Amino acid sequence: MRPKAGIGISRGKAAALLRGLLQRLAVFVFLLVLMSVLPRLLPGDALDVLMDSDVQRDLQESERSALRDQLGLGGTLIEQVGRDLMRLLRGDFGYSHLHGAPVSRLLADALPWTALLIALATPIFLGVGVIFGIEAGRRPGARLDRIITTAMSLLASVPPFVTAMALLLCFAILWPILPTGGAEPLFPAEAPWPHAREIARHALLPACALALHEVVRYFFVVRGEAAGLSRRAFVINARSRGISGWRERRDYYGRNLLPVICARLSQSVATLFTASLFVEVIFSYPGVGSLTYQAVLDRDYALLQGAIAVLAALVLSLNWIFDALTDILAHRG
Amino acid sequence: MSAPTPRIPQTITRYRRQVLGLFAVVILTLLIAASDALLPAYVTSTDTLQPPSARHWLGTNDIGQSVLTGLLRATPVTVGLALLTAALALLIGLTMAGLAVVFPKKGRAVVLHLTDMAEIVPSILLLLLVAAWHQPGAAEIILLMAVLTWHDDVRILRSVLLREIGRENIRLARHMGASWPYLLLHHILPAILPTLTGVYLQNVVQAVMRVAGLAFLGLTAGDLLTWGSMLQDATGYLHTPAWQWLLLPPALCLTGFLLVLTTLDQRQQRHARLRQGANP
Repeated sequence: MRPKAGIGISRGKAAALLRGLLQRLAVFVFLLVLMSVLPRLLPGDALDVLMDSDVQRDLQESERSALRDQLGLGGTLIEQVGRDLMRLLRGDFGYSHLHGAPVSRLLADALPWTALLIALATPIFLGVGVIFGIEAGRRPGARLDRIITTAMSLLASVPPFVTAMALLLCFAILWPILPTGGAEPLFPAEAPWPHAREIARHALLPACALALHEVVRYFFVVRGEAAGLSRRAFVINARSRGISGWRERRDYYGRNLLPVICARLSQSVATLFTASLFVEVIFSYPGVGSLTYQAVLDRDYALLQGAIAVLAALVLSLNWIFDALTDILAHRG
Repeated sequence: MSAPTPRIPQTITRYRRQVLGLFAVVILTLLIAASDALLPAYVTSTDTLQPPSARHWLGTNDIGQSVLTGLLRATPVTVGLALLTAALALLIGLTMAGLAVVFPKKGRAVVLHLTDMAEIVPSILLLLLVAAWHQPGAAEIILLMAVLTWHDDVRILRSVLLREIGRENIRLARHMGASWPYLLLHHILPAILPTLTGVYLQNVVQAVMRVAGLAFLGLTAGDLLTWGSMLQDATGYLHTPAWQWLLLPPALCLTGFLLVLTTLDQRQQRHARLRQGANP
């Protein structure tokens, strides 16, 4: 039976989406299990590792076993892992002794900043990547194409954290027009508008660094696709009818590029989170990336586990949503 | 030259470029192995944070080590790590693709499922998780990165293998009684070599970026000197003039190396396209 064309998705597509969801669930559970198994598989006693950095003292055997129970290290490996999993799935992430706050609160405080950076960066990299990609791809091999493509290839060879450091150096240290770090000044303004302006000023450089990292990928994807479109009959036909300028770029290229861009977005979710980690570390921005990084450096395992669980859930569900969107868009043909 | 010259297998003459590349890799490996003895020692001194001078051409870092020596010593480590990581990832990818082709029913389903799963694992989270408990050394980095990146290679390698196995020359040779090892060496390997080289180069680019990123975060073993870890050392000195000799040299090396790799990759792609265009 042929699936009905039209609105909605066919049965095959739905099955594929369901499979994607199950795969993501499996990956998520795998990460959670790894997170709780890994420390217990390493040579030595997890208790020693944990105590080593905090309290240096001899413990009585009875105190050790009491601590073990308190830290959830008692019982067999499977029991411990099961307990960990149930706890995390209930949404109980524990308490960060280093920050003196519950992990869930720390994460809730940090996530909006990361979301702000990504929200600011997305229009920049989408806009620049798509516009330059269409300009270069609609006349492949022309001079403009060669110039833009060479520049983008150069940009692609610079590791993203180097570009971020270069931005910091240029616009915050050598020519100090923007702040070097943080998300707001030490004493934020009272009035809402100056406050918003301060936040925007602090977010500008990190957002640009984040966007530069993604621009290159979108440029190459869009350029390749646009070059393919420029040879298609309907575009050649439109051009010969004198359609050009804005209308050609928007209606003939832009609209047909939508599924490709959407497909790319689903992969971007993970790379954006990765890139935001680097950017937040470099600009000491108080987002979830630098929080996680600090947890690694401080060996704050409760915070690290909570952050990884939340980030993994976010990344996996977001890229599944974009996958679903891509399928629905691609259905248009 | 009266004696008949030994017949060089046709594959070698036809794939001179790839063979030369292989030689380059072997020589590079030897150099990397010998570099520790050849280079001057990387010792601390009391001349800390000195600008470039006749004595220290690229200045010194915060514990008085010469930046130039560090750069030279980091080069074989950085390059070697990237080449080995990429090779291991390619090997895993090729094995997986081979399994999917040899066992078209069960193998294919399992391999494609695994590839899908590996694709959606957020690798940075996994790296952070591992690094929190144990900062990986060279061997562990190679293993970790290869395990996290092999999935990029599977689909393309599988499609190329399928294409080559379905060709007439293979079927004809099979008909004539050729064994699979013979076919692999004389028909399939030469045909997929350009793709293998391209995939390998892209793996190297990815490996350089990822390893440098990990080292930049300071999450690799403390005694592993790479360009990335030198960049990490420089981050604390952005507010002083020292960034000029601490940050720029490793950043330029890293960028230069990546630029060489991408140029090679592009040339290789153009070459493959031309060849395909010449005999469709």
